[in-house]
Amino acid sequence: MFTKHFSGQLASYIDGELAQRKVQQAELHLGQCARCRTECEQVRYGMAVLEHLPLVEAPEGAWASIEAAFQQSRSRTTATTGRWRLAFAATVVLVLAGVAYWAGVHQSGMRWEIVRLAGSPIVGAKQIREAGRVGAGEWIETDSRSRAAVKVGEIGSVEVGPNTRVRVVAMRPDEHRLALLRGEIRARIYAPPRLFFVDTASGTAVDLGCEYELKTDEDGFGMLRVTKGWVSFQWKGLESLVPAGASCRTRPHVGPGIPYFDDASENLKQALESFAFEKGGNETLSIVLTESRARDTLTLWHLLSRVEVGDRERVYDRIAALTPVPDGVSREQALKLNPETLKRWKEELSWTW
Amino acid sequence: MLRLGITVFTVAALVLAAGFTFTIGSPVASQDYQAKAAAFVFRTEGCAEPAKAQISGTAEGLVKGARRSVVLKVTAMTKPGVYAVYQNWPPEGEWVVNLKGTCTDASAGAIVPIGPKGFIRESSKFFQRPATNAEIETSLRALAKGGNK
Amino acid sequence: MINLSDREISAEIIASCRLGDRDAFRALYDVYKDRVYSISLYFFHGDQAMATDVSQQVFLKLMTSIGQFRGDAEFSTWLYRLVVNACMDAVRHSKSEAIISDRFRMEAFAGTGSQEEDYARAEMANSVRAAVSALPPKFRIAVLLRYFEDLSYEQMAEALHCSMGTVASRLSRGHKILAERLKGLISAKK
Repeated sequence: MFTKHFSGQLASYIDGELAQRKVQQAELHLGQCARCRTECEQVRYGMAVLEHLPLVEAPEGAWASIEAAFQQSRSRTTATTGRWRLAFAATVVLVLAGVAYWAGVHQSGMRWEIVRLAGSPIVGAKQIREAGRVGAGEWIETDSRSRAAVKVGEIGSVEVGPNTRVRVVAMRPDEHRLALLRGEIRARIYAPPRLFFVDTASGTAVDLGCEYELKTDEDGFGMLRVTKGWVSFQWKGLESLVPAGASCRTRPHVGPGIPYFDDASENLKQALESFAFEKGGNETLSIVLTESRARDTLTLWHLLSRVEVGDRERVYDRIAALTPVPDGVSREQALKLNPETLKRWKEELSWTW
Repeated sequence: MLRLGITVFTVAALVLAAGFTFTIGSPVASQDYQAKAAAFVFRTEGCAEPAKAQISGTAEGLVKGARRSVVLKVTAMTKPGVYAVYQNWPPEGEWVVNLKGTCTDASAGAIVPIGPKGFIRESSKFFQRPATNAEIETSLRALAKGGNK
Repeated sequence: MINLSDREISAEIIASCRLGDRDAFRALYDVYKDRVYSISLYFFHGDQAMATDVSQQVFLKLMTSIGQFRGDAEFSTWLYRLVVNACMDAVRHSKSEAIISDRFRMEAFAGTGSQEEDYARAEMANSVRAAVSALPPKFRIAVLLRYFEDLSYEQMAEALHCSMGTVASRLSRGHKILAERLKGLISAKK
């Protein structure tokens, strides 16, 4: 019973935060106490005037500053941690040389954080409830209703889609490697290039600073789609460079197909599929050349080194018709597939991709 | 006399046409992984010392009918004369990027509309001078009407 | 790009943030940025530079210490604890607390009505802002937190590092002071 004034609890009474028993006591008291009634009205009024205080939009550009500050703080932490690790490693080497060498080289105690996004993902033989850890050599498996997210060291993350089986192969500072047996992963990597790799039956995706989706089935037939940055897909010396907005099919024993932009014409994509994987002949090549736009020089540049010698001129001429051939790229050297010439041409063509 | 004047003007225009300009591209064109998250990249052409070019820009927008302007975040890439533009304007509304550059006595400008899938190359405009306000407004209105998408 | 409707903060978004997902952080930022900025702005007497600085500190702290969020409390409670800490720390370190910024542009309150209506609205808002500015810091932060974010008293107690009784007391006294200072404001403008 509120026999005393309850000024200090007026706000909780108005906001409905008082226990029911106390509410009844409060109402009884308010019925009898003019002072508390007046104060109650004052508190209500004070709450009401705040309705005239508008929500103010945060300044534009603030997010960019926050991100920049975050990047800086990470660099400082990495530098500081690096210096401490060096000092610690040096000390351990003096005292326990063998153990320090093992720890520095193998890092077999390292595990990556994995978080359940849906269903019941499994690491090794163990189901993850909310979060867990995964180590080198362990499998991550999801069923049709499960998904998980893995923090890849300090360089990014990988989302593991449903019906996926993927193994963590290596967890070294200079090599973060997965092996995708089947299913789908989506990688977001923030590190410098060539630190993150995904092996499949049809080749290896090498991160060059990117975000991408990689799918493969049990037979090794796959698809790489890049949403940010670019990825190199490699198999036995054959390489396809896939930038953002482009995709590339992959096949076992064949490796990466020829990349194409997702907004290329359907005719071009179908002809390319036929040409790259079904030994399509002149007709399919003609369709690819006819359907290509300036942007499709991504596809044509890759085609140059994949067509028969006799067809190279046709591909060269089509690229030259779509965009001016830059200085330093001679027809003769391009048709000979001179690496420096092709590299120079690719750098220039990429301004149209 | 008139013909001489026209001839001189034409020759001068042709000479100027080969001067200081911008070229835009998607991040892959920079050959620099740091540009991965950029809205687009651009390079200067026709500048004897690209590293000394003065570059600036703004994002010009129409948000719920109100005109907005945001100073652009432009970052130089490893290769001289190549820059990345990172989105620091709000996701809502219609936006074009207005680029300006000077290289000794020459100037360049560009208006690059931004669509839902990124920069719209086909609707981008390039000048050998800064873009005018009228040109910016025209691009914005066209974008708002969906003409640039 | 993740687009979230207001309040649609799922465990998935938090999990993605914990894994360093930039898009997830950006999504969180977009949901909370205006409220965090507004609380900071009114707490610091309309000082936009200060409010920007504090807001950025809050989100930077969020990004660097998201791993400490255990998920045993509401995310918003945890976030607003960061806001309270940032505001109160800044007050403790600032040389003068009592400066009322007169640079707070009335444009911030401009609406889509007539010029006269906009002026009246802006004037009223400025009066309320000034009255809030004059509250003692502990009352000010409690009042702003309650107004801009619909936290329960239990959540506010956690954000403010005090008991629910103290939350009630600060809110009661804070609003009463506002009422005394702004007597007649609403009826006068009607």
